[in-house]
This record gives sequence, C-alpha cells and structure tokens, in this order.
Amino acid sequence: MATSASPQQPGGAVVAERRGIPAASFVEDVQIYLNQLGLDVNSTLAFLQERLQQYKVVEMKLLAQQRDLQAKIPDIEKCLDVVATLQAKKGTGEALLTDFEASEGIYSRARVEDIDSVCLWLGANVMLEYSCEEATSLLRKNLENAKASLEVLIADLQFLRDQVTITQVTIARVYNWDVHQRRVRQALASQDS
Amino acid sequence: MQQAGGGSETEVTWEDQQNINKFGRLNNRYHELEDEIRIAKNFEDASNELILTDEEVVRFQIGEVFAHVPKDEVEMRIEQMTETTTKHLEKLKDEKDAVVAQMADLKKVLYAKFKDSINLEED
Repeated sequence: MATSASPQQPGGAVVAERRGIPAASFVEDVQIYLNQLGLDVNSTLAFLQERLQQYKVVEMKLLAQQRDLQAKIPDIEKCLDVVATLQAKKGTGEALLTDFEASEGIYSRARVEDIDSVCLWLGANVMLEYSCEEATSLLRKNLENAKASLEVLIADLQFLRDQVTITQVTIARVYNWDVHQRRVRQALASQDS
Repeated sequence: MQQAGGGSETEVTWEDQQNINKFGRLNNRYHELEDEIRIAKNFEDASNELILTDEEVVRFQIGEVFAHVPKDEVEMRIEQMTETTTKHLEKLKDEKDAVVAQMADLKKVLYAKFKDSINLEED
C-alpha cells in the first residue's frame, strides 16, 4: 500500500481515515509514488479508479442519509408546532376545529376539546401518550439529535469529496506523467536512430 | 471538473491540492445555496396569495392538519413566517455572494499556476 505523505490538516494533525472512509494519500512526486506502490502505470491507474468508485458508492449512501435527515427535521418541527398550538388553545377554553385527512383525498372535521396529553408516534408501530410538556421536550431532543447528526454527516461528505478530488487529481497527474515519459522515451529513441 | 492535460510538467503541491479541494467544496455549496434560495422564494410567493382572501375563518395548515384559525391570527402568523423566510433568504443570498467571490479568487490563483491544464468551469 502507498505510504507516501498522508493528508495534512491545518493544525498539522494527520488524518488517515474518517469514520471508515480511508483518506486518499497526497502524492508529492509521481515517480516516487509509483516506486512505492511497486506497480506499473496502468495498474496504478486501475487501482486509483477503483478507489474512486468505492468513494462514489459511499457518497451515494451518505447523500441518501442526508436526504432522510433533511426530510425528518421539518417533520419534527411541524410536530412541535402542533403541540404548541394545542397548548396555546388549552388556556382559552375554546375547542380547536381542524380538518384532517381521513383517507387519501378525503378530509374530515374534528373538534379538539381541552386536552392535557398528546400521543406521539415513535416508529415500529408504537405510539405513546405524553403530557404536552413531556411531548415538547421529547420532540425538542429529537430535533437536536437530528440536527447534530446532520452536521456530522455534512462534515463526512465534505471529507469524502476532498478525497475524491485528490484521487481525481492524482489520476490526472499519473496519466500526464506517463504521457510525458513516453514523449521523453520517443525523443531519446529518435535521437539514437 | 479536472481534465487530463497534455503531459504537462507542472508540479502539484499540497497547497495547490488544498486550493482545488476548497474550490470543489465552494462549488458544491454554491449549488446547494441556489436550490435553497429557489425553495425559499416559492414560499414567499405562496404567502402573498393569502392576503387576497376575505373569508372570516381560514384553514391554516399546522403539521398535517388544517386548523380553523381566525383570519387575524393567520395574518399575524403569515407575517411572522414571511419575516423569518425573508431574513433566511437574505442570509442565503449573502453567503452565495461570498462563495462566488471566493471561487473567483481561487480561479485566478489556479489558472495562473496551471493555465490550460485545469478546467474550473461548469460542464
């Protein structure tokens, strides 16, 4: 495996991989890199291409996770909104009239009297009853967790994209180096003959 | 984004690589911001429509249900939401301008060093 210079972070810390994603080693000199790998140009290019494909697969997975989280966050915010509205109505003593979707395209009217508790869908066919305050704090915690996970995910994606860019540049440089070598060899050959 | 040059000799330093990485990140962020701005703009148009209604009670969507809310309260809520969205939109636009400026700077630096060996334009 290549043991050339590992990517340097601004603080001087070396990052060899991040959460299972191997870092792409930056190549200082193509000749030395090829010697260290012990492979010829074509094999090196094949190896780098394969690395690129692996990165792409991981990127797809992370992007899907990001989309899921980005859909989940507004959902939780909507739930918080509903609970807050119900709590606000509690004090006034009036009932809340709502139109809700009973089935696709069919709406029904509901009269929500004074309530002290709400039921939250927790997933896996489980629904629990909570007081308004408990529901609000649970939803807030979920929202914070989702936002924190999203931040970590975005940082992972940025790291991954950097590795993809480094690998693409390395492929271009190895290819160029090879072209350059061929030209030099041809020039020498034509000089001799 | 990058294309193979014609066997040029230009060496790529770690600093160059970092500049290229940074350009890639900024480019991604630019596209994300464009999408977000488009979505935020839609919302502004939708809230303008509401001011034209003249019914007393409006069915205001909260979460998945439509609650019957008196028109005044609805107007107040819409106003708050519009204000939040406009501020958000402003912030996005400012960030987009900053990103575009940084990308222009990086382009200058990278084109100066690599000239034709690098391609930083959109496909």
